[in-house]
Amino acid sequence: MTPLVWLCKRETLRVSKLWTQTVLAPVVSSMLFILVFGLSLGDRIKQVGAVDYDVFIVPGLITMAMAQAAFANNASTIFQARFDRYVNDVLSAPMKSWQMTLGYTVGGVVRALAIGVSLLVLAVVLVGEPVRHPFELAAAIALGLVLFGSLGLVVGIYAETWDHTSFIQNIVILPLTFVGGVFYSVDVLPSPWEELSHFNPVFYLVNAVRYGFLGESDVSIWLSLGVIAALAVPVYAWSQWLFTSGRRLKS
Amino acid sequence: MRLSTVGVGSVEAVYRDQPALALRGLTKRYDDGTVALEDFDLEIPAGAFFGLLGPNGAGKTTLISAVCNLLRITDGEIRVFGEPHGSLQARSWIGLAEQDINLDRFLTVRETLTYHGGYWGMRDPEVRADELIEAFGLGHKRDTRAPKLSGGQRRRLLLARALMHRPRLVILDEPTAGVDFELRQELWRYIRQLHAEGTTILLTTHYLEEAEALCDEIALIRDGHLIARDSAETLLRTERLEEVYVKAMSS
Repeated sequence: MTPLVWLCKRETLRVSKLWTQTVLAPVVSSMLFILVFGLSLGDRIKQVGAVDYDVFIVPGLITMAMAQAAFANNASTIFQARFDRYVNDVLSAPMKSWQMTLGYTVGGVVRALAIGVSLLVLAVVLVGEPVRHPFELAAAIALGLVLFGSLGLVVGIYAETWDHTSFIQNIVILPLTFVGGVFYSVDVLPSPWEELSHFNPVFYLVNAVRYGFLGESDVSIWLSLGVIAALAVPVYAWSQWLFTSGRRLKS
Repeated sequence: MRLSTVGVGSVEAVYRDQPALALRGLTKRYDDGTVALEDFDLEIPAGAFFGLLGPNGAGKTTLISAVCNLLRITDGEIRVFGEPHGSLQARSWIGLAEQDINLDRFLTVRETLTYHGGYWGMRDPEVRADELIEAFGLGHKRDTRAPKLSGGQRRRLLLARALMHRPRLVILDEPTAGVDFELRQELWRYIRQLHAEGTTILLTTHYLEEAEALCDEIALIRDGHLIARDSAETLLRTERLEEVYVKAMSS
């Protein structure tokens, strides 16, 4: 096996060893969102467009859980490795920098997919969630995971304390996700909030995933995929540059 | 059991005449302006047991980190058996045991060694890992995670990890710092055996008696400059190393 495969295995092993924390907890909290919001608000908001409310919120909740997991996993794994200095075992290895970047990105992707698949299965069973456009769904999730996984790496590399990683997660990503149309269609927002929502990148990711599940979206699927790709590519390139140059990783 | 398997093979023949380590004009200036190494030249012949002595802040760890691609050098050139130190080939020849314990907290003893071997592109690293676990007396701890090991066991695991991929140049940064007399003797035994098998060793230490006992060549370093270098025999011909060291450092 190549060094890349071993690094991917190590990152996946970390996720599996901490599975109650990395997979079970986010699945349970997302299911609580579906049950609480779906059941409590489902009686008041019967449908959004032609879709039942409990079915409508599932794609956004899955997106939120996966994006947060990809970010948090990669930010914490690289920060911990820097903090305890065992990242040196990888940095000094005969491994190319692109292999390091990809290897560290994989952990967050695997963790997010484990959460996403678990939630999908539960959502199919509980609310009969459909998957109308699987290819568009796969493309949206792939781009979203590259974006948030890479962002996690970048933040974990720049962070000087644990607080820095949780700050970005709680003050930036979580609010953007909540106002990104997870629980509502932005069509119902008054001006200027509807227009402002279009400057939120998470809005495009939520809508691309919702299109994959339900075939409905506030904006064109191609615009959504284009916006996510336009963000994912430079953020991944940024994380690659950090490993190539050694900036923040090597003194 | 042999701790290394250095000795034969076509690659060995090609690089036999090259110095194990050649530093030319090596300079490291940190971002805060501190100059840790300045225009530093050093050549260590293949097969040597080389000691690098100096007070705290002399530049020993900076030098080692530069050789192992753990910091960005400001200027100069580093070659390992004739190859640029950043090349995959040169990296594969170096084994490093750092001064601080930097073991992956999520991995067991066996996983620590196996994954290290994987990062270095070894086939079947499990076999080699089991050999080293036995050689270093860690058999009863093979499935124990690093944070649950005693200080001595961690030190042994650190050395085993450095030897895992059968390096031709082993760099030991204060390998016996803070260990008790018995473990120090045990580590000395491992290191001597390794050298007897043909491995080049670069050792930094604060313990002058350690350098006296182990090294066949010694260099004294202060403020990022080489201030003395000779065979241990010559340095010790007229006076004890302690006296040579004090004179050199106060000159």
